[in-house]
Amino acid sequence: MIKVVDLKKNYGRVEALKSISFEVEKGSVFGFIGRNGAGKTTTMNILTGLIKFNDGKIIIKGKDFQENKQEVLKSIGYLPETPTFYDYMNAYEYLRFIGEIISYEGKNVSKLLEMVKLAKHKKKRIGAYSRGMKQRLALAAAFMGNPEILFLDEPASALDPEGRMEMLELIEGLKNEKITIFLSTHILNDAERVCNKICIIDEGKILLTENLSQLYKSYIQPIFDVEFEEDPTDKIDLLKKPEWVENIKENGRKISIYVKDLDYAKKEILKELSKLNTSVVSYQIRKSTLEDIFMRMVKQK
Amino acid sequence: MKSFKAYFKKEITEAIRTYKYLVLFFGFIFWPAMLGPMMLKLLPLILKNYMPAETMQLFSDFTRDYAFQSFLSDSFQFMLAFMAFVLMGLLANEVRLKRLVFPYSRGADPEGVVLAKYIHYAITVSLFILIAFFIDYLYVDRFFTGGILSLKILFESSLLYILYFCTLLSILLYLSSLFRRGLAAGFTVLILGFSLSIFNQFDTIKAYFPNYLILKAADIGHVFDSSLIPAIIISFCLIILFVFLSVLRMKKIDVA
Repeated sequence: MIKVVDLKKNYGRVEALKSISFEVEKGSVFGFIGRNGAGKTTTMNILTGLIKFNDGKIIIKGKDFQENKQEVLKSIGYLPETPTFYDYMNAYEYLRFIGEIISYEGKNVSKLLEMVKLAKHKKKRIGAYSRGMKQRLALAAAFMGNPEILFLDEPASALDPEGRMEMLELIEGLKNEKITIFLSTHILNDAERVCNKICIIDEGKILLTENLSQLYKSYIQPIFDVEFEEDPTDKIDLLKKPEWVENIKENGRKISIYVKDLDYAKKEILKELSKLNTSVVSYQIRKSTLEDIFMRMVKQK
Repeated sequence: MKSFKAYFKKEITEAIRTYKYLVLFFGFIFWPAMLGPMMLKLLPLILKNYMPAETMQLFSDFTRDYAFQSFLSDSFQFMLAFMAFVLMGLLANEVRLKRLVFPYSRGADPEGVVLAKYIHYAITVSLFILIAFFIDYLYVDRFFTGGILSLKILFESSLLYILYFCTLLSILLYLSSLFRRGLAAGFTVLILGFSLSIFNQFDTIKAYFPNYLILKAADIGHVFDSSLIPAIIISFCLIILFVFLSVLRMKKIDVA
């Protein structure tokens, strides 16, 4: 559905995207994850025709994006991270305005407003909306006309927990309807829940692109979660000495020990913990989450 | 065409809700066309206790033609300043405030966006100029006597003003697409409008500049003659050129 080959984007001397390539299959949810400033929004802005790029090729729906931009954009919906509107308009007027550009029936606008729970506020000026309400209006504008491809840039960032759950359910629903979703997020739990494929980007470079299931197989790294009775901060350095320990994350009385060799660690960890001379409350082996894999990949780079 | 229609309607809504029509009314109509003739009429009454009788005699010589020329001079300055500062953000604000993100990502045509903006404000400015000229005529005709001013002359003058301001509007539109801050575009057009009048001092070249239209508009009795042809052709060419350049710019510009 989307194929990006050697895409480059420079802002003056700064290389925002350093020859990135990836492919998004039709009907899948493609999770694009990375730190702030990694190049996620730049990529999305390029793929939605909002900014130019310096080099590379983009194929969307089998067509060269640059040559068929206006045509391709008709099947795309974009939810930007910080949506901006004409504040003097109300939600109904704004959706009618966008609807006119894409030939969307005016009578369906009310349904769309009900879907994003803004029907009650449709006559209120957008300038008086909260950030969450603006995000929902942006969602309505992105969904308008049932686009085949949806670009969602941090869609849940401005939503309350309830709104965030609804957003995830909505994305899952769209996944079932075979809409291709390009989801940029830094909430890795969300990506883990809805995405089929994960792409990690950092400093304008793609670190990995993998199916989520394959990712767990390839990048699984066991972690030992240990809880102490007392804060172990002053004794942690002792645990960092063994070669099989890769990293330790502290969180109050709990620590997470990242290991290089699981089998060896299983045998040795209790010995090392006993050297600390501190009471252990609990101890368990945890499989890597997407967050762990992400941190590991970024650190490795 | 869809983008043109959507943006044309949007421009009307925006002009109403952000009081652009109201501000333009004050700059184009109220001050120069309504307040101007009244002030000119009241000036002798206000100054009669402060000025010598010989000087006061000059005021009694005010004819309809003089009052109309006074209006033209005032209206040029008012209209130029108000147009430049009210419409300076036409494209700059859209880009700077990232308001084109949704429309562009849904396939809005830059041609439609630019043309809708230009045509909407060209019509607005033209109507306001016509109204201002006719209102001024009503006041001048009631307050002053003498002179050869007629509705025909007034209409001819207003047409030259319309062409001149439509030319400046196209330049303003283009500059607004170039600068991120509309203020830069507004100031540039303001300076351009006033500085081009300098060429009216040079007989050999003045007919080739749009400001010649303003000069001829005040030439009561000889408004339309063949000397206007180069200025009219050049003005139309400038309009086409700057609108075209604005479209090109809006096609190339990064809107996010």
